Amino acid sequence: MISLPPSERDLHAYIDHQLSESDRRLLETYLSSHPQLAAQVQAWQQDAQQLRAALGGALQQPVNPNLDPTLIRQRLKRQSRRHLASAALLLIALGVGGLSGWQAREMTLASAPLPMTDALQAYRLFAQQGVLPADLEVRGNGAMQAWLDRYFTQAERLPDLREAGFQAVSGRLLSTDQGPAAMVLYEDQGGHRISFYIRPPGPKNYLLPRGSRSDGELQADYWSDSGYNYAMVSPSGSAVAQRLQDTQKF
Amino acid sequence: MNDIDEQLREIIPRLRRFALSLSRQPSSADDLVQASLERALSSWGEKRPEGDLRAWLFAILYRQFLDAHRRSRRYARMLEFFTGRDDAQPSVERSVVAQSTLEAFDRLPAEQRALLLWVSVEGLSYKEVATILDVPTGTVMSRLSRARQALRQLSDGEITSPSLRILK
Repeated sequence: MISLPPSERDLHAYIDHQLSESDRRLLETYLSSHPQLAAQVQAWQQDAQQLRAALGGALQQPVNPNLDPTLIRQRLKRQSRRHLASAALLLIALGVGGLSGWQAREMTLASAPLPMTDALQAYRLFAQQGVLPADLEVRGNGAMQAWLDRYFTQAERLPDLREAGFQAVSGRLLSTDQGPAAMVLYEDQGGHRISFYIRPPGPKNYLLPRGSRSDGELQADYWSDSGYNYAMVSPSGSAVAQRLQDTQKF
Repeated sequence: MNDIDEQLREIIPRLRRFALSLSRQPSSADDLVQASLERALSSWGEKRPEGDLRAWLFAILYRQFLDAHRRSRRYARMLEFFTGRDDAQPSVERSVVAQSTLEAFDRLPAEQRALLLWVSVEGLSYKEVATILDVPTGTVMSRLSRARQALRQLSDGEITSPSLRILK
């Protein structure tokens, strides 16, 4: 039970709906006859309301696939397995002795991620598994380019793949541990998909020499300019990849 | 497992918002959320208390934030962030007014931001907040009162709310 005049704590508890029903009525009656105090309470209520409105937008961020609990669980499992494997490898190496022990150490240290793994990961998630809706859906490069330019300044232009029969159809914003990224998906008449991926080179400014690698059924062509890293991901060895090779030089 | 993941997925946007209000940068905010989820998932069985999952995750995230902040100033220069946080505002006139409350909010110290978000925006009870901060409920109330006054002071003059006067 609160006492009157109300303490400041009671006023806040009132604002936060943490008073009992009878206390609330008691306080409301008191406030109705004390306009100055009522105004102060109202100002606090208004602040709270405005804060709710202002922070409402922050609930609508583009989805970050790195935060998916299922993926995190898998990653944790993989990490602990890798640690176990490293430990086992070191143990064996110690048994064999000096020089080879050093080699084993090198081997365990060399497991740094391969270039543009995130681009491949994004392709698998969005182009193959089709999880989550796109942030932008368009036909053609124009609108897509404008959208991309809002987030990436002085980035390379989107490749024009019309000759190979591909059109940009959807764009997604992602965040990665290297910084914000975007993936633009191209599609042809037959529903084949190719992605263009862009992100900053990260805090260590890790720029890539032009190259390509295949990872499972996918191929990634990657390169950098002075501001960003890029990758094109396509199904490897397919007629699509071949058509792309013929019409396009990355 | 799937059931838990489903619950987590619903809370993640709230965690991201909280992290964003603490770190003020989308990319480091997401790092914070990721680290917190990893922490939560790897200590699930032993630590997870009965009660509100959201409050427990807020507590983990807040502690991670403080730790990271103390450990190094790396956070300050970590990763550039998106050039504009322009999208998704509810409506024009509302956001004009709210924008300045937001600016005032952004100038408050981290603990006051956390308090106001938990209580005013997320609607946690004083008791839940007391558990998160590991202080008595009375302390939560007096800190909250200070936070509200600070916010009011900072946004005073910026907000032109219609003032009612009783005319005799």
